[in-house]
Amino acid sequence: MPARDTLSQENEDFMTILARLEHWKEQGAISPEQHGYLVSLCRGEPFSLFLELNVLLYAGVLAFVAGLGWTVTTWSQQLGDVLVVAILSTILASSFWYCFSRAPAWSFTETPAPTAVFDYVLYLGSLVWCVELAYLENRFHVLSGRWDFYLLATAAFFFLLAYRFDNRFVLSLAFSSLAGWFGLTISHWPSYQDVAYRQYALLYCLLVGLGGVLLQRRAVKPHFFGTYLNIVANVLFWALLSGVFNREGYGVWFLALLLACGASLAWGLTRRQFAFIAYSAVYGYVGVSSILIRAISDEILILGYFVITAVAMLVALVGIARRFGRPA
Amino acid sequence: MRIYTASSEETMRARKLLADWAGEGFLTKGQYQRLEQETVSELRTTNIFLRLILFLFTLISVGAAAALFFRVFLAGPSEQVTGIFLLIFAAVCYVAAEVAVSQAHLYRYGIEESLAVCSVGFLYAGMQAALFSGRPYSPKLDGVHFLVPAAGGVFSLWIWRRFGLWYAFLAAMVFALFLPSYWTSSHSAQHVIVALLYVIGVICVTALRSHHHFDYIGDEYSLVEAFLWLGIYLAINLQLSSLDLRAQWWGIGTTAASEFARSFYWTTWVLIWCLPPVVLARGVRQKDRFVIAAGAIVAILTFVSNKPYLGWPRHTWDPMLLGILLTGVTLFIRRWLARGPGGIRRGFTAARLSGKDKQWMNAGATVLGLVTPQSITPSPQARSADFRFGGGASGGGGAGGDF
Repeated sequence: MPARDTLSQENEDFMTILARLEHWKEQGAISPEQHGYLVSLCRGEPFSLFLELNVLLYAGVLAFVAGLGWTVTTWSQQLGDVLVVAILSTILASSFWYCFSRAPAWSFTETPAPTAVFDYVLYLGSLVWCVELAYLENRFHVLSGRWDFYLLATAAFFFLLAYRFDNRFVLSLAFSSLAGWFGLTISHWPSYQDVAYRQYALLYCLLVGLGGVLLQRRAVKPHFFGTYLNIVANVLFWALLSGVFNREGYGVWFLALLLACGASLAWGLTRRQFAFIAYSAVYGYVGVSSILIRAISDEILILGYFVITAVAMLVALVGIARRFGRPA
Repeated sequence: MRIYTASSEETMRARKLLADWAGEGFLTKGQYQRLEQETVSELRTTNIFLRLILFLFTLISVGAAAALFFRVFLAGPSEQVTGIFLLIFAAVCYVAAEVAVSQAHLYRYGIEESLAVCSVGFLYAGMQAALFSGRPYSPKLDGVHFLVPAAGGVFSLWIWRRFGLWYAFLAAMVFALFLPSYWTSSHSAQHVIVALLYVIGVICVTALRSHHHFDYIGDEYSLVEAFLWLGIYLAINLQLSSLDLRAQWWGIGTTAASEFARSFYWTTWVLIWCLPPVVLARGVRQKDRFVIAAGAIVAILTFVSNKPYLGWPRHTWDPMLLGILLTGVTLFIRRWLARGPGGIRRGFTAARLSGKDKQWMNAGATVLGLVTPQSITPSPQARSADFRFGGGASGGGGAGGDF
């Protein structure tokens, strides 16, 4: 291949990655084997369809379960309980049989899926589990409508599956189920209010956060820790913001929000996890702004506030970006 | 035309590729550090999170500054005066974006992007206020009013070419959607004009990108071509481009079939079946990720919209059949590729070759895992008083909710 066969027609200094690779090979910075491999990667030889095939598989599983749930909902009386339960159980049993029969031995560290479709079969099984559980309770009232028990059991089951098979889809389902359990438990209270919801959200954050830290310290699937932190951070910030938006008694929540923003910022800067800097900037700005402008009715002052504070935020963020924020 | 030199943009691309290769183990740490030193650029960039919040806060500050100006200096201005000042703001924002790049060397930094976006918004709003002063917005068949979306579209195209912001091209496509309503009242003609505009776009992009293989401009044109193919498809699929989709698909309102001439309607039905293979074939031939994705999306949309097109009733098991089809096709392709020597056939492989793919998968799995249980759970369709089934509003993979 000519060294600079892809010189731009616009700019003589324009050196494509192929020309650079050739240059680096001539310099001895990379070996001829590396050069050959990297050139082929750049040229798309071979061209990887990994991401596209995974997205199609995911869409396929999702469409299938959506149709299954819709069909069961609509036609259960015509089909009969036995047939519906038999079909759902067959899919469920087949999915889990596939997963348990093909899973490698459990490991504390990240384990690649044994087959290309493994993660999606597990996801299918988990979603069908939800559909079947909902159907059984609705038809046979096994737990007399105590959905919180189902959700708690489902959350525990999904956590086990996620850790056994190292699956982020199912881990997210577990978080979702656990959040549902907290939500449904509170809905049994005779007069539930925002305050109670907020307390449960904080309890959820505490539980998930502590669980995540504990598992990470024991080096049990430590690569899941980022998922724990992101979920805890978002739920926590929403809960604190809802407290800040109160007309009365918002002082404690505001203080807690500032502390959380500080912690999130510190974590983001020290660990170079810039999502946490974004959380602290956005949630913090919304909380502080709601406190500062709630007593102001003058439009000019409010607009002036936004101009000055947004510019101040820009200056601060540019400072952070210049010092820490290289492309991830 | 481009505000960045080709050399600096290609250097930024090389840095990204180096980081990816080092992450995958194709380069040693020492090699990566050495080569990184050789790809130093004068451009200043940042990561996606900081880029997003810098974009957001620039948007807030510019919007608030404009509102403050009107509140302080112009008490109850006429719409024409407002329009003129909005046009001035557009010019100021555009100049600020240029200065941010030329002086501060910002590149995908959020700030210059937000300023450029604000300039398009102010230009459109300013022209609208100046030309339509005192009148509510309503497309009219005359020779002047189309200038507003036309100017918005042309200026968006300029921003795309000048700054390389892909979403500016998308904005230009959206502006193009409004143009035909100023020229004709015929819905069929409007669909045809929009499709033709996008076809012209595809022809231009195809011609331009033939000179750019394996460089940063090639990547940019790839995304733009994918958008244009999607746009063409949406313009000719009368079931999807109708505004009242829900009413059409569930038979509540008038159907698309009755809105259009019979021959036109069935021609578009033929076209929606012809386009997916064409797009997919083009993507596969070019080994173009975005065009392949566009082809896959339009193929799925064709399956989804076929029944409404034909006026056939929808069934609850249709999504199941689609799911089985998607899964089956995916497994077939995967196995076919895997059976080739080294897992490669005709230059394609199902194996992962880039660390970015894994990052996308992990992020997608977390977000979609949280979101999808609620979205796939159908709403209750009770048949009798003692039968209520559905819900899932409280998470739990759709298992909770209202029973």
